Amino acid sequence: MARILVWSERPELARELLGEARRLADQSEGEVGLCVSGEMTPSELDSYAAYGAHVLYLTNKAFLDPAEWVGILGLVIAHAEAGLVLIGATKTGMEVAARVAERCEASYAAWAVEIGLDAESGHTTAACMLYAGAGLATYAFSRPLTVLSVAQGTFEARDQAGRAARVESLELGEAIAQLTVIGERPKSAGGPRLEEAKAIVDIGRGVKRLEDLEMIRQLADLLGGQLSCSRPVSSDRDWLPEWLGLSGAKVKPELCVTLGVSGAIQHVVGIRESRVIAAVNNDEEAAIFAQADVGVVADLDEFLPILIERLQARGAGPAWS
Amino acid sequence: MKIVVLVKYSLDVAEIRVDPATRALRMSGVPQRFGDLDKGAVEAAVRLKETTADVLVEVLCFGPPEARGAAKDLLAMGADSATVVEDPYGGSAEAAIAVRVIEAALRKSAPFDLVLCGFASDDGYSYQTGPRLAERLGLPFVSYASQINLDRGALVADRDLEDGIQTVSAPLPVVVSVAEEAFVPRSVTLLQAMKAQKKPTSVLSLADLGLSTEALEGVGGYRLLAETGTVVSRRQRLLKGGDVTELADQFIDALVDEEVLVLNGGA
Repeated sequence: MARILVWSERPELARELLGEARRLADQSEGEVGLCVSGEMTPSELDSYAAYGAHVLYLTNKAFLDPAEWVGILGLVIAHAEAGLVLIGATKTGMEVAARVAERCEASYAAWAVEIGLDAESGHTTAACMLYAGAGLATYAFSRPLTVLSVAQGTFEARDQAGRAARVESLELGEAIAQLTVIGERPKSAGGPRLEEAKAIVDIGRGVKRLEDLEMIRQLADLLGGQLSCSRPVSSDRDWLPEWLGLSGAKVKPELCVTLGVSGAIQHVVGIRESRVIAAVNNDEEAAIFAQADVGVVADLDEFLPILIERLQARGAGPAWS
Repeated sequence: MKIVVLVKYSLDVAEIRVDPATRALRMSGVPQRFGDLDKGAVEAAVRLKETTADVLVEVLCFGPPEARGAAKDLLAMGADSATVVEDPYGGSAEAAIAVRVIEAALRKSAPFDLVLCGFASDDGYSYQTGPRLAERLGLPFVSYASQINLDRGALVADRDLEDGIQTVSAPLPVVVSVAEEAFVPRSVTLLQAMKAQKKPTSVLSLADLGLSTEALEGVGGYRLLAETGTVVSRRQRLLKGGDVTELADQFIDALVDEEVLVLNGGA
């Protein structure tokens, strides 16, 4: 019987992992456990049951320190006799996953996109992103415990009314925090989640001026989409709070229009599941054109105002509204 | 005090090509270099050296023999010495194995006060070396550092997380991974490059660390079943040249063809 444990500090990611864990568990009448922390209302707990958890391992504290999560997960893994642990690939999740694997002497692979579990032997296989997404490696895991990290948007959350879960409360011992938190300051809040957008206008380094954002926002409105960007545009320039890519969000919109995006694999991983990719770049050799359905070689300063004008003149709008 | 910087002589993943027929990854001819993330960790160490008295910066690499020569660039940035542990796996060792080798090299180099590395390698990109090492060494771990200061025997750092910046302190010794682009590597002058030629570099084998591939055999956790390249099946229609208005119209038409746009009026 497969015993699968799920953890992510992001509830929406935890629900996606529950979807995949439940699919795997149902093949062998297995059990899915979810590790949650802090104050939980009964309706929040019920919702995790609906999303597929059989057991909720509830800890009495909201955590800050990854070391504490490593300790908690180590305890729950032993208690639940888990054979497979799925961890959400956020920054904290990636740290915790590698540490848990080392501490529990588990097999570990990052960025899983497909998981197989042999119902009889309990052996796990997984296809995982390789070389920052340029390739895919399939592994057969050999240790009694396998840990996999999974990016948001990889699996589907599936809720089903009428499911119930039992709750096991865990009393934590002494503090195992290794870091002293001196201060915290939030980053500028994002808009609606990019993962839910039907269209994305994706800004790369080729967009030079902050003032251009206003015009690009106008384009996004005409296409029924939201703005996003590559990592340097977010982290170096701080234009937008969230970026797309291997280390950021991964989206699957109907349409993704990239502006001044070069096409580095670390970024393309975040958009390549889009149904249609259209790219504008002034460099005909840019790697993005090989990843796009439609490409335009043009100077953004010239092309964008006219594109907006023509979209308006021709009464263009998103196909899905 | 001693800072050890872990660097990887990484594949340039942008140069990896995929055979469209077989989906095989074409790895031959893909260049290797110290990645930007690794150089960022060296930059962070050199900045601490510049602001703190009596700091020695050692660079440590588990990689091919060529890394020894390439490490001169890191010495030119301001590191004091470089050690390459020769990799008998040709870059294909699992993180669990690589970390044991690095751990052994670190223990040989002890005592140290700070271990710095990039939050991920430029090619593997699996975020494992720092966290695994901290576990094995039983040391605190500060991940995704975007600012690092030393203050009376403790480290104070900003952690760059998704939703915010968290400032933490931790006692030394400590393992720290640096965030992306937080420490832009400096450019090096010709004089610095010449001086770097005289700085010590050394090569160690697994045996020098009391290790062997046989002894490490049971450490790995998986078997590779298949490796394929990601094949892109995009239409790759390229529009270029001519009048910008025509180009914009062609672009709009293409998006209508793709059924993501509809035209409700106008021409």
